[in-house]
Amino acid sequence: MSKITVFQTKKIITIDPNCPVATHVAVQDGKILAVGAADCADEWGVSHTDTRLADTVLMPGFVEAHAHMLAGAIWNYGYAGYHDRIDPNGKLWTGLTNIEAVIDGLKTQAQSLPEGAPLVAWGFDPIFLTDERLSRHHLDQISPTRPIAVLFSNFHLMCVNSAALELAEYSQYTNVEGVVKGPDGQPTGELQEMAAMFPVMHRLGIDFRNLGQTEQAIRSYGAVARQAGVTTVTDLFSMMEEGDLKLMQRVTSEPGFPVRIVPAMAATGARPEQLAQRAIELRGRSTDKLRLGAVKLMTDGSIQGWTARVKWPGYVGGQPNGIWNTAPTQIGEICDVMHREGVQMHIHVNGDEASEVVINALDAASRNTPGQDNRHVLQHGQMMGADQFQRCAELGITVNLFANHIWYFGDQHVALTIGNNRATRMNACRTALDCGVHLAIHSDAPVTPMGPLFTAWCAVNRQTMSGRTLGAAQCISVDEALYAITLGAAYSLKMEAEIGSIETGKIADFAILGADPTAVDAQDLKDVPVLGTVSGGVVQLQ
Amino acid sequence: MIDTRLPMTVIGGYLGAGKTTLINRLLAEPHGKRLMLLVNDFGAINIDADLLDSADEDTLTLTNGCVCCTMGSDLFMAISDVLKRAPRPDHLIIEASGVADPYRIANTAIAEPEMRYAGIVTVVDAENFQALSDDPLIGPQIAQQVACADLVYVSKSDGIAADLMRSLRAINQAQPVILQDGILASSLLLAEHDAMHADPSPASHPNYAQLDYSGDMVCDYAALSAWLAQRPKSLFRVKGFVMGPQDQGWLVQVVGQNIAISPIANPAQSTLVAIGLLAATSGSELHDWWPG
Ligand SMILES: [Zn+2]
Repeated sequence: MSKITVFQTKKIITIDPNCPVATHVAVQDGKILAVGAADCADEWGVSHTDTRLADTVLMPGFVEAHAHMLAGAIWNYGYAGYHDRIDPNGKLWTGLTNIEAVIDGLKTQAQSLPEGAPLVAWGFDPIFLTDERLSRHHLDQISPTRPIAVLFSNFHLMCVNSAALELAEYSQYTNVEGVVKGPDGQPTGELQEMAAMFPVMHRLGIDFRNLGQTEQAIRSYGAVARQAGVTTVTDLFSMMEEGDLKLMQRVTSEPGFPVRIVPAMAATGARPEQLAQRAIELRGRSTDKLRLGAVKLMTDGSIQGWTARVKWPGYVGGQPNGIWNTAPTQIGEICDVMHREGVQMHIHVNGDEASEVVINALDAASRNTPGQDNRHVLQHGQMMGADQFQRCAELGITVNLFANHIWYFGDQHVALTIGNNRATRMNACRTALDCGVHLAIHSDAPVTPMGPLFTAWCAVNRQTMSGRTLGAAQCISVDEALYAITLGAAYSLKMEAEIGSIETGKIADFAILGADPTAVDAQDLKDVPVLGTVSGGVVQLQ
Repeated sequence: MIDTRLPMTVIGGYLGAGKTTLINRLLAEPHGKRLMLLVNDFGAINIDADLLDSADEDTLTLTNGCVCCTMGSDLFMAISDVLKRAPRPDHLIIEASGVADPYRIANTAIAEPEMRYAGIVTVVDAENFQALSDDPLIGPQIAQQVACADLVYVSKSDGIAADLMRSLRAINQAQPVILQDGILASSLLLAEHDAMHADPSPASHPNYAQLDYSGDMVCDYAALSAWLAQRPKSLFRVKGFVMGPQDQGWLVQVVGQNIAISPIANPAQSTLVAIGLLAATSGSELHDWWPG
C-alpha cells in the first residue's frame, strides 16, 4: 500500500451532499481516500498528517469549461488593459485607467526591450476615452522609432505608432478598409479587423496560432489556471495537429504539471465523418492530464461585435443580423454525424437564433440516432430563454453560460446591442437551473480573465461595471454558483465521475482558498483569495 | 519596371456552388504559372495521378509547379506563411469557406504591401441560387458574396437564365464579369495580359480584348483617382505606370471593383493596359475614356 496523506484544513467545502463540510481529506495515489474529521482515514491504516493547508479552506479544484490556451501565452506581450490583472508569474499589472497612464505604462514596458525591438501590448479597452480615440500621436510619445502595436481587448482592433505604420507602408495613399484616416488624410494608427492589421502582425511576428502552441504557452496556461484555483481547464478550439499533440502530451505528463487540460478539436477543414474519426482516435490517446476526444463547433459571432445571429427584433441600433461562421445546413450535418459517432461537441452559440438552430439540429440528430449520451454543450448561450433551456433539458444538452459578460459587457448590451429587456435576461442561470439544465459558467479567457470565483460572483450578483444589477430575477445562490464552477462544469466535460467534488474515489484536485466562500458576503465572493491548488494530490502553492 | 507583388485571388461561393470544381480546373489547366492554393477541405481536391508530384498531411505538390495546401484554423497565419516561402508562388488563390465574406479575405491583399489584389471570383450555383438568396438565415451572406465579386462564375447550367442574370446584376451594381460554366476562366482569373497574348482566342473562350497605351500622360494622385473612378464599369482590369507631376509616379492596379494606386519612382513614360470582355472594350464609352 502506498502512503496515505491526511490534509488538515480549516474547512473543506466538498460539493458532496452526503458530507457537505469536513476538516480533513485523506489522499492516496493522487486520489481521495476519505473525507471527514482527523480520523477519517483511520480505517485504511497508517497515515501521516500534512499541516501545510491547516489555515486554509479547500474546495474541489475549479473547472474552467470554456477558455483558450492563448490566455497563458498572451502574457508574452505587455498588458495595457483597464483592470488590474495578474500574469502567470504572479506579477500584478495595475490597470491603466486614463490615456496618460497608458502612455506611461507602455513607456515603462519599452524600457525593458532591446533598442528598436517592437513593443506589443494587449488588452487595451478604451472605456475611458469618450470622445477621443487612441492614435499614433499618443503612441509616438512612447517612441517615434520603435514599432508599437497595442491590441484592443476584443482582438479585432489595434492602434499602432508612426514607425509601425511606416513598416506596413501605410500612408495617405493607402486606400484600405479598416485603415482609419484622420481629417488630414493620414492614417490615425487605428487598424480595424484582421486584413488591415495583417501587414503589422506579419512584420512584428504577432502569431496567435504559434503563440498558443509552444512549450512555454502550455506552462503559462498551467500557471494561469493554478492562480485561479483551476485544476481542470479546457482549450476550446485546438487544431490538434500531430506535433501539437506530442508536445502537449510531453509537457502535461511531467510530474507536477498543475492542471488537467481538455482540448476540443476544431471541427473544420475536413468532412464531418473524417473529423469524427480523428476525434475518436484522439480520445484513445488521452492521458491523466490531457483529455482528448471532444470537438468545438463555431456557429455565429459575438453580440458586442453585432455578429451574433439574433432573433427578432434584432439589434437596437438597427445593425443587420450577424453572420454564420458555419452555415446552418452544415451545422445540421456536423451535429448529425458527431452525434451518431458518439463525439461530444462544444458548440459556440451567442445569439438566440444560433442557439435555436443548434437545438433544432441536435433534436434532429437525436431522432436519427436515439440513445446516445453525448452531452453536447451549448457554449455561451447568452440570449437563451426558458423555451430553449426546456428543450435542452429534454434533449440532454448541457449549457455553459458566459456569466462574466454581465459585468464586462452588460451596460453595453443595454445601451448598444440588444437593449434593456433582453439584456436583463442574458446568461439566464436561474432559468437554466429551474428548467433542469446541467449548468456551467465560464470566463472565455483570455476574453475575460480566468477566475471561477469571479465568474461565480457574476452569476450571484449580476452586477455590471456601472454598478447596476442586470436582471435580479436571474441571480443564483452562492451554493448554486459554486456547484456550477465545480461539479456542474465537470459534468459538461463528462468528468463528473472523476473530479468536481471532494469525495472518496475522485481525483485529489483541490482549490486552496484563504477564506470560506460560503461565509463571506455574496458581494465579496470574488475577493476570496486563491492560495494555490492541489492537483492529483500534489500541493501547488502560489 | 515590373510589379513584383504577389497577386491574390479569392474564390468565394456557398457550399456546393462549385468552388472545388473551379480549383481542380485551375490546377490542371496549362496556364504555365506556379499557383499556390489554400483550400478548406483537402479531401475534395482531385488531381490526376500523373500530375501529382508528392502529397503529405496538408500539402499536395504538382509536377506543373502548383502547390495546394489546407489553410488550418487561421487563414491569416497561412497567408503569412505563404509570404515567407522562397521562392514565392506566381499567384496565390484562396478558397473562402462557404459562408465567408470573400471581401474580408481579399482586403488582406489590398492592405499588404507585398501583395496585390487580383480579384474576387464568386461561384454561383444556377440551380440553387434563387432559393438560397431567399433563405432568411443565409440569404444576406450569399448576397454579400455576389456583391463583392469582380467575376461571377455561374455553375451547373448551360447559359445563364435571364432572371438569374437580373438577380445577380441587382445584387452587384458594379457590373461584374459574369461567366458561365464550361468556359475556361484561368486567363481572366489570373488576369495577366501576357497569358492572353499567348493564347488569343481558343474556341471556347469568350472574346477578351485589350487596349494598350504608352505616352506622356501626367497625373497627380487626385486626378488619377478621379479618372480611374470614371472607368467603364465592365472593364475587368487596368494596370500600368503613370507619370506624376514631380519626382513621384504611380503604379496602377485595377481589378474589378478595386482601384489601387501606389507611389513609385517617376517612370520615363506612362504605360497602361486595359483588359475586358470584347463587348465591354469595343464601346465608345471606353474609347472616350481611354487616353491617347
Ligand atoms: Zn471561446
